[in-house]
Amino acid sequence: MRRLLCAIFIAATATFSAESPQAAELRRVAEVASVMLDGDVCLRIETPRSKDFANLKDPRDPWRYGDNYDVDGAAFNQTKKTLIRLSRLCQHACDVNLWMPVDSDLASVQIVIRNVHEISQFWKWGDMRQPMPSEMARVLKTATRVTVQHQPDIVSVLAPVFDSLNNVVGVAEVVGKTAPDPRGNVK
Amino acid sequence: MLVLNRGRLRLPIERLRCTVALVFLALSSLHAAPTLRALPEHLRSDAFGEIIGADRLAESTATSDLQLVTPRGAYASCHLVVGLRTGGAYTLTLNPIARGSGIETSLYREWLHYLPATNEYIPDALIPIKSPYQSRLPSPDNRIPAQTAQGFWLDIWVSTDTPPGNYTLTARLVSSGETVPLSIGLMVLKVEVPEEDAVVMDHNTYGTSWLADQYPHLAKKLGRRFFDSAEYFHLLHAYHRIFYEHRGIFHQLGYGHAGKVSPEFAPKLEGRGKDRHIVDWALYDRHYAPLLDGSAFRNMHRSARPIPYVYLPINPEWPASFENWGEPGYEREFVNVISAMEQHFREKGWVNTRFEMFFNHKKRYKGFSWDGDEARFPGDYGYFREYARLLHQAVPPNSPVQFVFRADVSWTMERQWHELAGVVNFWVCGGGMFSWYPDHLKELKERGDTVWTYGGTPAVTEPSSHISLEVLRAWIEGSQGFVRWLTTSPGLDPWFHFEGGTETLIYPGDRFSLAEPIPSIRLKLERNTLQDLAILNELTSRGTEAASLKAAAVQLFNGTTLQDWRFPRPALANTDPLEWSNADIDDAAQYSAKFGKELDAAAWSRVRTYIYEKASGERASAGR
Repeated sequence: MRRLLCAIFIAATATFSAESPQAAELRRVAEVASVMLDGDVCLRIETPRSKDFANLKDPRDPWRYGDNYDVDGAAFNQTKKTLIRLSRLCQHACDVNLWMPVDSDLASVQIVIRNVHEISQFWKWGDMRQPMPSEMARVLKTATRVTVQHQPDIVSVLAPVFDSLNNVVGVAEVVGKTAPDPRGNVK
Repeated sequence: MLVLNRGRLRLPIERLRCTVALVFLALSSLHAAPTLRALPEHLRSDAFGEIIGADRLAESTATSDLQLVTPRGAYASCHLVVGLRTGGAYTLTLNPIARGSGIETSLYREWLHYLPATNEYIPDALIPIKSPYQSRLPSPDNRIPAQTAQGFWLDIWVSTDTPPGNYTLTARLVSSGETVPLSIGLMVLKVEVPEEDAVVMDHNTYGTSWLADQYPHLAKKLGRRFFDSAEYFHLLHAYHRIFYEHRGIFHQLGYGHAGKVSPEFAPKLEGRGKDRHIVDWALYDRHYAPLLDGSAFRNMHRSARPIPYVYLPINPEWPASFENWGEPGYEREFVNVISAMEQHFREKGWVNTRFEMFFNHKKRYKGFSWDGDEARFPGDYGYFREYARLLHQAVPPNSPVQFVFRADVSWTMERQWHELAGVVNFWVCGGGMFSWYPDHLKELKERGDTVWTYGGTPAVTEPSSHISLEVLRAWIEGSQGFVRWLTTSPGLDPWFHFEGGTETLIYPGDRFSLAEPIPSIRLKLERNTLQDLAILNELTSRGTEAASLKAAAVQLFNGTTLQDWRFPRPALANTDPLEWSNADIDDAAQYSAKFGKELDAAAWSRVRTYIYEKASGERASAGR
C-alpha cells in the first residue's frame, strides 16, 4: 500500500522543469523521502552509549569512537529498508543516504546510513563526524530541498527528514551518478 | 638456501659480523675499477654500495666468497651488486648453467625507493630483466644523484630432478673496457622441499578499481574496455599467479562495505523475492574458472592446482536484498541463489576450493547495523547464526562443494569461539591477542575448525628478517595460516616518495611496460622462509618432536624460548571487551625487543642452517 501511495504521490507532483532529467528524478524521490522517513525512528538509531564515546578524547586511541560505534538494530534496519525502497524509485542507480546533525548548533553532521552504491557528495571515507556542509545546514534550518552538484558527474538532492513534532531532525541525500561505475567504491 | 663458506658444509657456519661486509664494500669502493659482488639474500645494498642501515645488525659470512646451499624443488637467492665509483655504462651477464641440470636462473633489477621519512634509498621492487643487461649508473629511470651501485636479485630455481652436488654460476661485469668476473657456488642437497606448506601464507586485497589506477598505460590503451578486456582478466589471474609462485595465496574481496559487488565477482542476478535467480555466469566463470580448475597456474615451477580458498560475494545485500531482511523473501532470495551456485560449482567440478561466506562490513562504515568483521558487540552474533542457517538451507548436506563460514575476529574472539561453535568454522584471528588463548586452539581444531591469524607486513625499513617473523610465529603457535591484510597498495608514488610498503608486497609493472605485477625483495624472502619451514614441518611428520624443533628454531631466530612467543593471559582478558581500548590491548601485548629492534637481518639464515643440517642428517640416517 505504501508503494502505491508513493507512486501516486510521485505522479501527482511530477512537473516539467528545466533541471536535468536525472536531477528531476532525484528531486521527486527526495520529495517522497521527506514523507516516508520517520524522524523519530532516525533519532533512535545511534545508541546513547555510542554517543557518549563520540565526545571521549583518548590520546592513546584515536579509533575509540569508531570501535564503540553502535546502533539500535531495529531503528537502523527499519530506516534502511525505507531508504532502499526509495532508491528503487530511481530509473538508474541511485542511493538514499541518511545524515543526522550531531549538535543543536548544527556545527557537525554524521552519515548514519549509506547504501549499496556508496555514492555521496559529502561523505569522507572513514570519518565518523564531519563539519556541517552549508547546504545541509540550509535544509535543516529552512526545511527546504536543496540540489547540489559539486562534482560534475554526481547530483545530490538533500531533503528534510521530519519527526512527529514537525521538527527537521535529519537530511536524506538522494544521490546519483551520471555515469555509474560498477566497480567504484568496492574497496 | 643457505649461505656457506665455499666448499664446506660445516654447520653451524662460521659467522662474521656484518662489519666485515661493510669493510669489504668500503675498501672495494675506493678503487675506481668496477666491482661486482654477491651478497646473501638478507643483506640489501643501497644506491652507494653500503648495506642499508636496517640490515647492518646482521651477522653474516664474508661477501667475497659466497656459496649458496639449497634443497631441491626450491629457489636459492642472493643479491649481485654492480659498483661503478664514477658511474657510466655497464653490461651485466649471467652465464647459464648447463642444460639438463634442472637449474634455471632469473634476474631482477632492484628498484631503489626513496623514503622521504628517513631520507634514504631502500631496494624492494624487483624488475625482471634478461641477461645480458645493459644500463648505466646513475640508473636513468631511478634518478638517484651520484648513484654508484646497483643491486640485482638472483633467483636460482633448483628442480627436484637436479642431481645433488656442487655447481658454479658465473657472472661478469663489463664497464669502461674492464671485465670483472664473479663465481657463486651452489651446493644442491638431496633434501626436497615438500609441496605442502607448513602455514598457508595469504595475501589480501579489496576490490579491483585500483587496478586501473595502478596500470595507467594499460587503462589508457584500453579505455572503456579496460574492465571487460582480456588484459584485465589476465591481470586478475596474474595477481594470483605471482603469489602462488611465491608459495602464497591471494584473496580478493569483491564487494564493498555497503554490499556493492563488482560484476566479475558474482553471477548476474535478476528478479525479486521468489523470482530472484541467476541469469548469467559469463563474467564469474571468466574470472574464476581458471583459478578454480587450476589452469591459471600452468607452466609454473609449482604444479598447477586450484586455489584453496576464495571469497564468495555473499554479504547482507547479496544475493538477497536487505530490503527484505527478516522476511520470507530474504530467505528465498538467499537460498535460491546459493543453491544454484552450489549446483554450478558441483557441475564444474570445483570441489577442491573452500568457498568462504565472509562478512567484511563494520557498523562504523554505516552500511549495515551489525559488525561482520571483528564483531565486538555480542548482540551481533544473532546475524551470524541466521546466515549459518541460511547457508545450511542452501547447501545440500552431502555436497562435495566446500562452503565454509569464515569470521575475522579480535575483540571477542574467545567468546565467539564458544557462542558461535558450529556456526563459524573458519576463524581468522587477530595476531597478538590470539596468543592470550593458546589452550583454545586444540579445541577449535578438534571440532574441525580452521584457524588462521592475521596482521600486517613489515616495512622495508625493518631488518629483512622481519618478513619471516609472522610466518614462523604462525607455525610456532599452531595457526594453519596467516593473512597479510593488505598486500597490493604501494601508495601514491612508491617509486620516488615511498611510505615504506606496509600495505604491499608487490608492485604494478605498468611503469616498466609490464601488464602484470612485479615481486619485491620481501616477497622473495617470505617465499624462501616458507620453503625452509615446509622442510622443518615435514620433519615432524617423520616423527621428530615438534616442540624440540620449534624450540631450536626460535632460539636461533632471536634467542628466545617458546614461552617468549606467547603472552600469559592478561588480567584484561577477564574483563568485558566492551570496556577495552586499543591502548589497553597494546599494554597487555608488549613484545620484547627481541621481536623488534633487536631482531637482526640474519635471523632466518641461522634457522635455515639448522633446518638444512637437521633435514640432511635425518635423510642420511634414513638411508643407512
